[in-house]
Amino acid sequence: MAYLIVTYDIGEDRVNKVRKILKKYFTWVQNSVFEGDITEGKLMKCRLELEQVINKEEDSIYFYSLENRLNYRKTVMGVEKELTGNIL
Amino acid sequence: MGRPYYIFSNGRIKRKENTVYIENENGDKKAIPVEDIDTIHLYGEVDLNTKLLNFLSQQNKIVHVYNYYGFYAGSFMPRDRNVSGELTVRQVEHYLDPERRFFIAFSFVEGAMFHMIRNLREYKDTLEFQEKIKTELANASETKSINELMGCEGRARDAYYQAFNTILNNGFSIEKREKRPPGNPVNALISFANSMIYSTVLSEIYHTQLNPTISYLHEPRERRYSLSLDIAEIFKPLIADPVIFKLVNNNMIRLEDFDEDVNCCYMNETGRKKFLKEFDQKLTTTIKHRKLKRNVSYRTLIRLECYKLIKHLIGDELYTPFKAWW
Repeated sequence: MAYLIVTYDIGEDRVNKVRKILKKYFTWVQNSVFEGDITEGKLMKCRLELEQVINKEEDSIYFYSLENRLNYRKTVMGVEKELTGNIL
Repeated sequence: MGRPYYIFSNGRIKRKENTVYIENENGDKKAIPVEDIDTIHLYGEVDLNTKLLNFLSQQNKIVHVYNYYGFYAGSFMPRDRNVSGELTVRQVEHYLDPERRFFIAFSFVEGAMFHMIRNLREYKDTLEFQEKIKTELANASETKSINELMGCEGRARDAYYQAFNTILNNGFSIEKREKRPPGNPVNALISFANSMIYSTVLSEIYHTQLNPTISYLHEPRERRYSLSLDIAEIFKPLIADPVIFKLVNNNMIRLEDFDEDVNCCYMNETGRKKFLKEFDQKLTTTIKHRKLKRNVSYRTLIRLECYKLIKHLIGDELYTPFKAWW
């Protein structure tokens, strides 16, 4: 398990496909930013799905991983758009 | 393995863009990553349609539903993929043979009492109750029938709940355990905690081949998943009760978090949220497993308990109840 922050920059005609894939695995936090806990296997699966749709010449997706959830602290200025908790 | 999601808001949950969306009364939408879901617990008044159920079934996710008072009402279980006729036959075999049934039933009681004593050890002035439980444990090993065993278990549990009065501060106390309906805040807390343990255990049983209706300590009857009651015995004092002690003694939960009516008392939404936050944290806490030599969470421990039971039933390895060693 690792905690990941994913950001992406994708051409307009593909961006929605990428967003939809990422949405299955991570919680949406901001435009072009997702984050969440994920297992290694699921991450692989997610990356494979992404590879199918992106154009490797133009698009980029960054994965920032934190080995441990406890090593991460998030502070927000302004509006917190989305909460990542599981009690809704 | 995903996380359980607890939905309190009223509104609608639906399938959209291959994931799950919840939409509350004000029309705010939120996407839940489907791969991150293990189970969904519904507390609010939620609408859903077959499209969602089909999707969840495809993804093998379980939905538990609770009524207005937070009591477990039922579950939506996807088509069972892990069926094993052989194991069911073995489960029944062990139930029908009084000696073999007693062995398993006693193991559950032993595990439960071990953890009760372990909980009490943390607090002072509980020695007398610990002794009572120990005597009952000794009595239990002498008994011959399940009924007598249940009697010992009940007396031990009485002593255990009496000890709650010494443990709990901040104006919380329990005269006697009352259910249906719980009469005071402590009873309400215990009832809610237990129902959470039952559904958690049930989710874990469901991930294995065990048949949740065939049980050993509790009499398997219609209309209930009694095996989850059996296995929950071991985990109630290990997981649920420490959460109760923490919430009450650190003044995290207060008397305002309960709604009292004529002879009944229930936790309200803020109370339930507070409890679930701690409960969820507890379930994800990991410990180093001695045999597996890796970190496992409390939730995984429940799953492992199911696997141990399977091994026992198919004659692979003798079942010994889980006993916390730390």
